[in-house]
Amino acid sequence: MSNVVKDTLTVIFGLTGVLFFIGGTVGLLRCPDLYSRLHPATKCDTVGSISITVALALQIGLDMALFKILVVIFLLLMTSAPSGHAIGRSAFMNGVMPWHKKGVVPWPLEGGDRWTGH
Amino acid sequence: MLKLKAMARTVRETIPLTVFLFLLWIIFTEKTNWEHLLLGFIVAALFARVSIFMIGGKLDPNLNWKVGLRFFPFAILLFWEIMKASWDVLTRVLRPSLPISPRIIEFDSYLDSDIAKTMLANSITLTPGTVTIDIDGKRFYVHCLAQEHESGLLEGKLERMVAWLFAEGPDDVRSLR
Repeated sequence: MSNVVKDTLTVIFGLTGVLFFIGGTVGLLRCPDLYSRLHPATKCDTVGSISITVALALQIGLDMALFKILVVIFLLLMTSAPSGHAIGRSAFMNGVMPWHKKGVVPWPLEGGDRWTGH
Repeated sequence: MLKLKAMARTVRETIPLTVFLFLLWIIFTEKTNWEHLLLGFIVAALFARVSIFMIGGKLDPNLNWKVGLRFFPFAILLFWEIMKASWDVLTRVLRPSLPISPRIIEFDSYLDSDIAKTMLANSITLTPGTVTIDIDGKRFYVHCLAQEHESGLLEGKLERMVAWLFAEGPDDVRSLR
């Protein structure tokens, strides 16, 4: 692979990562409550960091460090979902009410209907 | 004699984890002279022994080499789903009108084993606008970001994929599509 192609791909992957990170951060700030904030935090950040690590891997080329990058990608994929799940679960068990639009039943348990009344 | 047998079993249980940790050591140190390798091997063996003493040496019985082989196509499809999901969430939160309508829904899964349910929960968390909040027996509580995500989830594509991966559930639902 020539250098120009490699650098171009690196820039593309890096910018994609930055875009997803910006999206994740903006989502974190704009979403109305804890549960909906989990969505940008678990998804956009995973894809953003994977994309940036792929850009780094392209610059490194075939080397021992490449395996390190692969291990890092694997760990990122494995850890972000369970951590989001843990946060959501503890909020759920403590009865934190989800924000919702008018007329939507936001809560499947008993008494969920009374939360649509506003 | 009996003691010897028990010792042999302990060693047999320790070997896979030791090899795995040793490979990680080599990857992270990037050194191949014998002092480093010896040190790495000792650390890996000690660590594996202590871990197996603490958590017990058994892997989940539902994990076997067939699952390992099937994991690769599954992972590629899952990665594609993750990309779509992130793009979807990204466009939703960046649009000025913020088109979300969150709710928590519940559904029953036909998956049985703990490992399959864990895999399904993690896949749900990583894909379109859904985060698994709680699992109670067979019942899944999932937070959805909008109506489309709810219907997409109840369609059960991910559940079918996980059923295919672990060869569980009713026969006619195991597929990758």
